[in-house]
Amino acid sequence: MIEFIDVGKTYSNNMKALEDINLRIEKGEFVAVIGPSGAGKSTLLRCINRMHDISEGKLIVDGVEVNSLKGKEIRKFRQRIGMIFQSYNLVTRISVIKNVLVSFAPKLPYWRKVLGLYTKEHKVKALTALDQVGILDKAYVRVDQLSGGQQQRVALARTLAQNPDIILADEPIASLDPVTAKQVMDDFTKINRETNISVIINIHHVEIALEYADRIIGIRKGKIVYDGKAEDLTEENLNYIYKGQTEELQSNEMEGKTDV
Amino acid sequence: MYDRIFPPAKITLPNGKIVYEKKSRAPIILVLLVLATIISVRFTNFDLNTLFKRGHEFFVIIGQMIPPKWDYLNNIWKPLLDTIKMSLLGSILGSIAAVPAAYFASSNIVSKPVAAVAKFFLSILRTLPTLVTALIATFIFGLGTLAGTVAIFLFTIAYVGKLLYEQIENANMGSFEAMESIGMGRLQAFRYAIFPQVLPNYLSTSLFSFEGNVRYAAILGYVGAGGIGLLLDESLGWRDYSSVGMILLMLIITVYLIEKVSEHFRKKLI
Amino acid sequence: MDAIEKQLHASPRNLRYIFTIAILILLLFIWSLTTVNLDNVSESGLGIAAGIIGGILNPDLDLLFSFTSQGVLYLLIETIAIAFLGTIMGSILAIPLAFLSASKIVPKPVASVTRLLLIIIRTIPALVYGLMFIRVTGPGPFAGVLTISLASIGMLAKLFVDVIEELDTNILESLDSIGCNTFEKIRYGIWPQLFSMFLSIIIYRFDMNLREASILGIVGAGGIGAPLIFAMNAYRWSEVGSILIGLVVLILLVEFFSNRIRNKLVRG
Ligand SMILES: Nc1ncnc2c1ncn2[C@@H]1O[C@H](COP(=O)(O)OP(=O)(O)OP(=O)(O)O)[C@@H](O)[C@H]1O
Ligand SMILES: [Mg+2]
Repeated sequence: MIEFIDVGKTYSNNMKALEDINLRIEKGEFVAVIGPSGAGKSTLLRCINRMHDISEGKLIVDGVEVNSLKGKEIRKFRQRIGMIFQSYNLVTRISVIKNVLVSFAPKLPYWRKVLGLYTKEHKVKALTALDQVGILDKAYVRVDQLSGGQQQRVALARTLAQNPDIILADEPIASLDPVTAKQVMDDFTKINRETNISVIINIHHVEIALEYADRIIGIRKGKIVYDGKAEDLTEENLNYIYKGQTEELQSNEMEGKTDV
Repeated sequence: MYDRIFPPAKITLPNGKIVYEKKSRAPIILVLLVLATIISVRFTNFDLNTLFKRGHEFFVIIGQMIPPKWDYLNNIWKPLLDTIKMSLLGSILGSIAAVPAAYFASSNIVSKPVAAVAKFFLSILRTLPTLVTALIATFIFGLGTLAGTVAIFLFTIAYVGKLLYEQIENANMGSFEAMESIGMGRLQAFRYAIFPQVLPNYLSTSLFSFEGNVRYAAILGYVGAGGIGLLLDESLGWRDYSSVGMILLMLIITVYLIEKVSEHFRKKLI
Repeated sequence: MDAIEKQLHASPRNLRYIFTIAILILLLFIWSLTTVNLDNVSESGLGIAAGIIGGILNPDLDLLFSFTSQGVLYLLIETIAIAFLGTIMGSILAIPLAFLSASKIVPKPVASVTRLLLIIIRTIPALVYGLMFIRVTGPGPFAGVLTISLASIGMLAKLFVDVIEELDTNILESLDSIGCNTFEKIRYGIWPQLFSMFLSIIIYRFDMNLREASILGIVGAGGIGAPLIFAMNAYRWSEVGSILIGLVVLILLVEFFSNRIRNKLVRG
């Protein structure tokens, strides 16, 4: 369970990226976070695994108060949370399986870590994760020979191999074509259903968000402006998330005209 | 082959699927490298002791080069200019001669056997170290800059020729065939269809080869093929290190300037 | 002025530019012609050329295939050994220098000074290093190894830096999110990226070093260069022929394999 209590986040340049965030995400939910560019979606996600520190309030993940963690504890904590990026972030010069195995690296004894030797058990787990996302046959292929969709699946497998409780995905399909994007989203759904891992996904494609997520969180200028079931999201809600209030918009336009 | 000696490991997944993992080649490569190192140490009488005991001597020599002997400059100008002239002449003539050489080495223009023979000669020319070519040239053309120029000329043909025929073989053949079909000769079709495609790269390669040639030319004097190498050899022989320092300083400045100018034009070409 | 008009005006200026450059090159060409002087060309040149060609066509096969320490095979192995050890030592020295000249990693002034040092190292001909090292270790292949090491550093470091500056650092973010510490990030994020590229560069340089090592004998730094010169000065052309054949075959073989390995490393 993830719980935000009055969370605020101000970047060092005084940019207020999040404000008064109150949120509760239960285990096994599939949540999509939508909002215009610069709204604070990535910031929200990165606070959950402590890639960013929050500046106000409390953030509790599975009973752990995230901001109280230090050094080694943070790294231990992060191992339980998977994260997926728009740019896949794989080492393209090595094989698929080696990329997946990296998720076991922090758990290896020192000599194995230096030599990069994994145990058979780890290899089985990594291959199982690759099987789950349907690219088992590519296990020993170099990553730079895979398509974008396949690479994102490798990233997903790497995260699965971590055996996480939560998967955070920051615009995982933004660089994929529509068909591949759907396949990757299907993978997310499958994993969410089969393993009960919570999935929180930042996404720009509203239709896809509505199609796949159970719950939608709309963010605008660092504040949550919609939080509810995907079916309940109206055209009006969307307008508000992406363009601000209708009246506000009109008055802005008027001002714009008088300026000219 | 390797996989037959070290069969792949079999990994069974919990769901019954079987994956074969090829054995890593890293251990055997490592063993071979270590062996090669040991053999090399034997063959070269490599001796860390000597290095630690006498290694500082090298820096003593460098220390003697600084400060360089400024008035030695007067002796340097002529051989330095000779070196530049040698590389310039060799590079220009070599680049020009590389065009027909590359033409006859391109298997998409001339017949396969002809191209193979031309390629063979080009690769032999490219393989012979410039200094060796220069040495042979001194026997044929006598001591002096001519021998050096010939050596650079030959190397440039081989180097530019190789890169050029690779370009030609990768060029778009559509327009070449079109021109041949309207009755142009092979050579003419090459001139109007292929040459414009490879021209910028050809010029850039020639410039690049000129840059490298200046460096090579600097040592050719050592075998009597003219240029500043002779002076270097003499001063080193006399252990006149401050003069050596001056020569090297001038050489570094010259090479640097030539590189910068050539880089400027190469960037424009691509 | 629309685009077409612009093109129209650009074209003649371009022609003038090309014309100027062409004239300049022509002048340089004429200037460089002044260096050629045919006085030293002797009558015997043709005879010697014939001798060399005869020697290559008619090589001293005993010398080519004998395993004694004067044989071509032995000398070629010695040359390879010089190039091999020199490449390894040069690479070891070049790696720290490369990091020291990457402006992404160290402060600008440090990077600039290291770069200048590398340019100097790169420009000084290997033969000069050879002559200096002979004064340090005495003549022989050991001096050759040291020479090759030092002469390789400049180019190796320069190519290494390019790889370092092009590192993909996004991966580090991922490793952070997995919970990796700094050592793990370097071992699994940086090292695999550097390894294959560095190796490919090192193999390329080994290829060059082999050519370099084959002439070092001329200054007494071991390898096949010295016997080549002796044979030539003594007009023993069939000996020259067998040495040249051995050298060319070796260099072509090494080039072929090094290209194959490098292709495999870079393209996978
Ligand atoms: N490291 C940082 N330092 C300072 N300001 C930042 C930093 N990262 C983000 N911001 C600012 O915080 C705000 C929220 O950024 P965030 O990246 O969370 O937006 P986003 O909703 O993910 O946008 P996008 O859809 O473009 O990815 C933006 O105004 C951004 O400029
Ligand atoms: Mg974002």
